[in-house]
Amino acid sequence: MTVALKKFGTTLTSRQSGKEALLAYEPVLKSVVADETIIVDFEGVNTFSPSWGDEFLVPLYRRYGDRLVLQNTSNLSVQATFKILEESNSITFPAA
Amino acid sequence: MEPKLVKIREAARMLNVSIDTLRRWDKAGKLKPVRLTPTSNRYYDVNELMLLSSNLLAIAKRWVLESSPQEPDAPFYCPDSAIFQTKLHKLEQQLQAIPDLREEFSLLTSVAGEIGNNSFDHNLGSWPDVRGILFAYDLKKRQIALADRGQGILKTLQRVRPALADDEQALMVAFTERVTGRAPEGRGNGLKYVREVVTNANKAMKMILSFQTGRAALTLNNGDTAVRVITSDFSFRGCLAFIEF
Repeated sequence: MTVALKKFGTTLTSRQSGKEALLAYEPVLKSVVADETIIVDFEGVNTFSPSWGDEFLVPLYRRYGDRLVLQNTSNLSVQATFKILEESNSITFPAA
Repeated sequence: MEPKLVKIREAARMLNVSIDTLRRWDKAGKLKPVRLTPTSNRYYDVNELMLLSSNLLAIAKRWVLESSPQEPDAPFYCPDSAIFQTKLHKLEQQLQAIPDLREEFSLLTSVAGEIGNNSFDHNLGSWPDVRGILFAYDLKKRQIALADRGQGILKTLQRVRPALADDEQALMVAFTERVTGRAPEGRGNGLKYVREVVTNANKAMKMILSFQTGRAALTLNNGDTAVRVITSDFSFRGCLAFIEF
């Protein structure tokens, strides 16, 4: 399954909207089967921040672990956010 | 929203310059008026004049220090998070159009986003007087100001760290330790992220952050490794952030 983040917006910064995004996406995530890879695609995202990431990305990582693949992550705010989320949650996102 | 326009005489008064100066600025392209036809009267956009006439830091400072609480001037006021997100998105688009910020615009937007969102997240339902934040930017001067009249960092963090004694300690913890005032949420990376981005920003885009809550203040520069909190000569209840880039 591929999660195209730009479908949630291109400025992904608030905790509230990150939370709403995950809630809205739960029905779609129900169709994920065992061992399926979840690709999170950052293509088209202009700004990403830890508040949004904390509410959407970290729960996905906790649920799917190494089955999570992060794609098109060259944006500077995406990179900086990964770093702080990894440090503060003591996790390591799988390499793209 | 239609811009509010004023005639040249009023514009000159607002900027404290002569009418001739404004005509010169028009010819030089420094401040272009609005003209319905090439020869008709010059009109000026009030919002543009307000930006030119004042320093954003002074506007924000005046607002947080105001003893009788009032909403900030309309162009700078974000009463709720949704309005802030809209204005932040607009800032992002404008930053993206600046040639030397094609890559770094996202860092600036996310830093402003984290600071503004922090104000909303920590004060939702508990604003002591004016709800919402002041958010103003001037891309010519390369400045962004954010301020709130919320509870301030000390009060917010004391909920999870009751031993915090003063604004200085609270500000230090907010920028250096993993903690959140939104217990039981085990989160609170916002200001640590801000520090990380400001101090590690690409040298081509120098970012300076001045931040104050209560009487405690700090300034972060590119390359800083330590955080140094000082006691300011003025104090207020909420938070005030000023970014230069």
